[in-house]
Amino acid sequence: MTERADDRPSAPPAGESLGDRAALALLEYREGRSQRLADLVHEATPLLWHTARSQGVPRDLADDVVQSTWAALVRHVDTIDEPKAVLSWLLVTTRRASWDVVRRYRAQTRLTTELPDDATDTSRAIVSPHPGPEELALRTDRDRALWAAVGELSERCRILLRLVAQADRPDYRAISEAVGMPVGSIGATRGRCLAKLRTVLERETPGEVGS
Amino acid sequence: MTLDHDPQEPMDDVDEQLLADLARLYAAVDPVPEGLALRSLFTATLAGLESEVLELVDAPAALATVRGEAPVEARTITFTSESATIMITLSPDDGGVRVDGWVAPAGELQVELRSPGEVRRTTTDHDGRFVLTRTGRGPASLVVRRPDGTAVSSPVIEI
Repeated sequence: MTERADDRPSAPPAGESLGDRAALALLEYREGRSQRLADLVHEATPLLWHTARSQGVPRDLADDVVQSTWAALVRHVDTIDEPKAVLSWLLVTTRRASWDVVRRYRAQTRLTTELPDDATDTSRAIVSPHPGPEELALRTDRDRALWAAVGELSERCRILLRLVAQADRPDYRAISEAVGMPVGSIGATRGRCLAKLRTVLERETPGEVGS
Repeated sequence: MTLDHDPQEPMDDVDEQLLADLARLYAAVDPVPEGLALRSLFTATLAGLESEVLELVDAPAALATVRGEAPVEARTITFTSESATIMITLSPDDGGVRVDGWVAPAGELQVELRSPGEVRRTTTDHDGRFVLTRTGRGPASLVVRRPDGTAVSSPVIEI
């Protein structure tokens, strides 16, 4: 991402979704214009951060994972065949790097897991528990209720909703595929994860969720 | 459990609001570290330079971090490869760091000191010498560009 004299000042977001803007950034970068890619780094870094963190990567290591994902994109800029797939590429690269880090981290710290049988994802649960509302100083009853409802969801639904909350609706499909959720988990329809979240929230706090 | 809402229905305003609230809660619970996008841009930029990366010569202390108000002692660091050698001396400079450098072989060389969010530029004199004054502390990489378009760069060091 070398700066060049013809780089324009920060351009307004182009395209309807993060995925569109990522595709455009790649195409322009290949032609020697790096401003859109720089903008993309700023825009999509939170999504990559939450991707790494939702896989259980500790904060300091997640910082490295995100940085090296962006470096890898620049190194592989000519090998990504389909520009539309850049967002997926970023998410999958982040997720794989996260798995590697978590595996090494666990080996290093020799974490042992003794959790109930119904905990399907013990490794991640240890590194990245869903913190209770009392630990978060959530300010309103609604925030506390929402956070508690999120805690009722499966780990996969939590991850999916955490990530799609960082993006635009046209990107939901790419995100759900990248995190290994079936198409239809969210997207054109609200999908099962959001439906469950609303159901739990309304049962806990009748009449306060909306409409 | 049975669902009170149909997963097959289109998303509505309540769904959108829930996602917006989730983004806000996760930002509060697990905030993106300050400056991560800038550090990412820095790392990606270095990865995209296609420069020859020099090796650090015999200066283990160079990679040690110098943070906060710790006094910067004058120290000399050498980077080298088959095609170039860069030697820099770092010294305290009015709260920042002064970089006195020398590049061999000499020529009309452009020098960049890259750090997250900032690029300082200068050129060498005929003997290959350059100076950058009052640079900020933190991770940085030195990049030297030759007139023929090739470049060499140092590994990231703490200045």
